[in-house]
Amino acid sequence: MLDFSILTTYYDLFFKGFLTTIEVSIIGLICSFILGVIVAVMRIAPLRILNYFGTCFVEFIRNIPLIIIVFFFYHGLSVYINLSGFAAGTIGLSIYTAAFIAEAVRAGIQSVDKGQMEAARSSGLKYIQAMRYVILPQAVKIVIPPIGNQFINLVKNSSILGVVAGMELMYFADYIHEKTYVTFDTYIFAAMFYLVLTIPLSLFVNYLERRLARSY
Amino acid sequence: MISFRNVNKHYGSFHVLKDISLEVDQGEVVVVIGPSGSGKSTMLRCINRLETISDGELVVSGIHVNGKQTDINDLRKNIGMVFQHFNLYPHKTVLENITLAPIKALGVDEKTAQETAVFYLEKVGIPEKANSYPSQLSGGQQQRVAIARGLAMKPKLMLFDEPTSALDPEMIGEVLEVMKQLATEGMTMVVVTHEMGFAREVADRVVFMDEGKIVEEGRPSEFFAQPQAERAQLFLKRVLNH
Ligand SMILES: Nc1ncnc2c1ncn2[C@@H]1O[C@H](COP(=O)(O)OP(=O)(O)O)[C@@H](O)[C@H]1O
Ligand SMILES: [Mg+2]
Repeated sequence: MLDFSILTTYYDLFFKGFLTTIEVSIIGLICSFILGVIVAVMRIAPLRILNYFGTCFVEFIRNIPLIIIVFFFYHGLSVYINLSGFAAGTIGLSIYTAAFIAEAVRAGIQSVDKGQMEAARSSGLKYIQAMRYVILPQAVKIVIPPIGNQFINLVKNSSILGVVAGMELMYFADYIHEKTYVTFDTYIFAAMFYLVLTIPLSLFVNYLERRLARSY
Repeated sequence: MISFRNVNKHYGSFHVLKDISLEVDQGEVVVVIGPSGSGKSTMLRCINRLETISDGELVVSGIHVNGKQTDINDLRKNIGMVFQHFNLYPHKTVLENITLAPIKALGVDEKTAQETAVFYLEKVGIPEKANSYPSQLSGGQQQRVAIARGLAMKPKLMLFDEPTSALDPEMIGEVLEVMKQLATEGMTMVVVTHEMGFAREVADRVVFMDEGKIVEEGRPSEFFAQPQAERAQLFLKRVLNH
């Protein structure tokens, strides 16, 4: 039986961490999405140099561990600028997730029939306009499920902030564990808080997927 | 209006357009025919720079299509294009399909763009479909919307790449009818098609291509009665007797 006194005694800490996890997740979600879309467009834009930088970003970032990226912002940059654990973690997490989102978005964009781009461009629309009004709205439909999965990963990966004193769920779970030596129960409660976020998110992604499949 | 002078194009080592020279005057309807793979689409797509040429000179409305100074978007606003597979935007209504480029590329206000769109929808005979999505239309209707979409930009020139090849036979007529009317109104048109009846009836000039070359060109009455090139004779025999 779970020791609920851990939860009741340290409820405020769990809850504080939980709120920070939500905060990191929302900021990370927005930043990684914007950055990911920009990188995806760079990868396929009709400009070699952009393709090159886009590809470098994706291949470099997604092939190194998240913790190294976060340490880079937390310790690596400390000579120049002192980022808090929260800031370093959120930046690292956003950049890391953006690489995966970029790949999902790129695949989605490239699955849109190329006649769409031709029709848009031949009517005098600029590349960016064609992307914005014709290609991206169609790509969204294809891209929602993989991006949803990336967002779920992002919420779970936000636990990386625990190692740089990011004051989120994992950080406080570690703290409570060190104070009480109750391992199993503490982390089970932490896991439950993550599930409170990820399960609705997952259901929401499924819902969107079904709705989009029915549109036009 | 269009002038190809000694234009060549290569795809890697493949020589797809060979020394193409062709003049199209304002108001002229030129029909391009020839076997599959002979370079008809490629030639057409060079005109609005969907494909770039390797060498030679290509001038449209007095503008060097591949010139460094050329604003290709400006040039394209004057060139309507209709594709074999319609390429309507599936996520937009018929009306939105037609108004997108006038609003975003020409800067026309939304209300005016909608009025223009309705005008051209009436012209192609389906004003009642303004608020439908492309997936709710038949192929013939979709292609007529695509033509209206091109016309709404008020272009000087319309390009058609096999506009009826993807249609069920019973819908070919309605699309050709719209094109015929356009031709009568004096639109400059370059049409790639296998519809020999249309070529015979509507074209001012027929251009026959084979293996990347223009093998023969002439008035339809003469070309169809007595093609000079042997390859043109063979081609006609095949398409007319199928
Ligand atoms: N993007 C491309 N890359 C390489 N070869 C191509 C490409 N597009 C067309 N081709 C080739 O060029 C030739 C001419 O094609 P196309 O202009 O489409 O012919 P048509 O329209 O007369 O059927 C064909 O042999 C085709 O395979
Ligand atoms: Mg073709």
